[in-house]
Amino acid sequence: MKLSQSVLGLFTGRRVRGGRALASGRMMGQVIARRFLLTAGMLFAVQGIVALLGAADLVIPDLPSPIPFEFGRSIHLGLATLWPFIGTLGLVYYFLVEELEHDIFSVRLANWQFWLVLLSSLGIYGSLALRIGNGREYLEGMPVFYVGICLSLALGALNFYKTLTSDRNAVTPASGVMVIGVFLLLIMLMPNIIHFSNPVADEGVKFWMVHLWEEMALELTTAGFVASFFKTTGMARPQDVEKWLYLEVTLTVVSALFGTGHHYFWIGYPAYWLVIGFVFSVFQLVPVVFLVHMTYKGLKRRVSTGRREKLALWLILSSLLYHVLGAYLMGFIISVPWVNLYMHGTFLTSGHAHLAVFGALGFLVLGGSYYCLSRGSEPDERSFRMGVLAVLALNLGLLLMAGSLLAGGLLQTYFWRVLGMDFMQVMQLVRPYLVLRMAGGGLFTLGDMLLGWQIFKAWKQTRPGSACAHPAD
Amino acid sequence: MKLRTVIIISAMSLTAFILVNLASFRLPNPVPAGADAGKKVWQAYNCVECHTLFGNGGYVGDDLTHVIKKMNPEELRDYLVNPPVMRPNRKKHHPGVTQAEARDLVSYFKYVNTIPTLGWPPKPSRPGGNP
Ligand code: HEM
Ligand code: HEM
Repeated sequence: MKLSQSVLGLFTGRRVRGGRALASGRMMGQVIARRFLLTAGMLFAVQGIVALLGAADLVIPDLPSPIPFEFGRSIHLGLATLWPFIGTLGLVYYFLVEELEHDIFSVRLANWQFWLVLLSSLGIYGSLALRIGNGREYLEGMPVFYVGICLSLALGALNFYKTLTSDRNAVTPASGVMVIGVFLLLIMLMPNIIHFSNPVADEGVKFWMVHLWEEMALELTTAGFVASFFKTTGMARPQDVEKWLYLEVTLTVVSALFGTGHHYFWIGYPAYWLVIGFVFSVFQLVPVVFLVHMTYKGLKRRVSTGRREKLALWLILSSLLYHVLGAYLMGFIISVPWVNLYMHGTFLTSGHAHLAVFGALGFLVLGGSYYCLSRGSEPDERSFRMGVLAVLALNLGLLLMAGSLLAGGLLQTYFWRVLGMDFMQVMQLVRPYLVLRMAGGGLFTLGDMLLGWQIFKAWKQTRPGSACAHPAD
Repeated sequence: MKLRTVIIISAMSLTAFILVNLASFRLPNPVPAGADAGKKVWQAYNCVECHTLFGNGGYVGDDLTHVIKKMNPEELRDYLVNPPVMRPNRKKHHPGVTQAEARDLVSYFKYVNTIPTLGWPPKPSRPGGNP
């Protein structure tokens, strides 16, 4: 897409060339994207509350709760994996048509996909609240719901593929990469529908979803989205983005696949995984260097942006910070087998998990959701300030939460894994850190509600029928 | 570089990855029926949300990969059937299971204990104490 056209398109919300433009100026792909993005934003708002209750349950003895901790945690993990995933699907719809400059292949397929993934996710949360589940970490719901999610992914993959191939000349690296990402999401989830009697296979295959969704498939959709975002906002020239995207993505796929080995050290897999896991974890660091480089150049080019783009950019920059420090740098350190031997399964893992899943992925999806949903509107001064406050509270809350987990985790590792003290005794020692974590969670939830509200407001203001939609149209 | 090249390299790596995984699943000895039933109980009660197995899971309770070395089967069954109050709570008990479920869980733990974990955990739990 030509830069001048994208900029024009950005301000008018109207398609400049090609595509089945709607009266509102949007293509159907982008209208449907809004449903996914709003759902993601709202599930995120719910997650803050569920999480805070769970964190309180850990430190307040005999806290009465209708849902026991173990099922509450399952709901928390189900939210942590599924809202960024649903938001990502929205971003793919949105930026795919943006890149290709023509509409999606089938609106009906997209609708089916949306309802299937929504009902399956709600099914997971509802049944877990009733204490019915499948007891596999991160995949706690009944397998039938994952069948639903796989079906919805299959419909999406088909729709995206058809959209991509309907005009082969329009294919851009960002669009191609996002579609490969969706196929990989499907492939890695499918084997997880089966029941494994073999506990080693069960653990191994679980990480095809836990690790390969987050560090492979979603990294591809993310790379495509970020590239597209930088192009649309004029922060990067298309040719600069396109030069390296395919290379980055190939490296991501190969290194993330065998980098799964850093989860295979002690689960009954052969010892050669110690070498594979470590070596490929080193290579996992390379793609993130590309990302940082692109952002650095983009920020240098940035001329001036409105409030709306600023807010989106701050969310995306927050994501980049945790991407580099919390996900990749910390991830690399704990992938060294001698380090992992001691820290494995301590609060250090939980600290890394929060920094990486929310910090790196969550912030990005929220930034994208806000950016896409608010298209055609501009926040007033008050909303903008609320938005900034939300970003601050989320960042500080996350830092406090993860910081206390890391500090507590270091102590736990030392006393429990190095000195060999009794587990429950060590838990008593790290309790103050869990209280601090809960405090961080409180701040985080505040930001979470504020941002959820901003996202909802942006959605409401820009609804096709809404009075204040598209001031520029 | 072309999209086609990305797809071909990705597909080849994915295939290789899956094949190495299939080779790595192989168990030293087959899963006995009791252990499989125990695994289902483990899943139904969602134990993994508070305890780790092979270090993967929740952090509220101790790792249970080698719990059978820490408590003998009778102690373990008794703990599960008559669950005690969990410190530092005064009222809240550990979740409990039936006699038959406890028996299956114990066979599962016995089986998991035979899986080689390459020297992890670095300081094995000592006998005595609670899970
Ligand atoms: C966006 C990127 C990333 C996300 C979303 C992410 C997420 C997670 C999550 C959720 C866990 C917890 C898994 C569990 O509870 O079993 C985890 C663990 C782990 N991650 Fe990451 N991670 C990311 C990047 C990385 C990278 C790049 C590396 C290495 C180079 C890495 C290395 C590890 C290791 C070694 C563990 C296991 C810790 C343990 O043994 O307990 N991570 N990660
Ligand atoms: C109010 C904010 C939050 C609080 C208080 C909170 C609290 C908790 C608690 C109590 C647990 C279970 C115990 C543990 O594993 O440490 C947990 C686990 C987890 N949470 Fe959160 N959480 C919050 C936000 C989030 C967000 C926004 C995400 C991601 C989108 C997330 C992802 C995870 C993951 C992946 C785990 C599993 C960690 C592991 O197994 O290593 N959390 N969280």
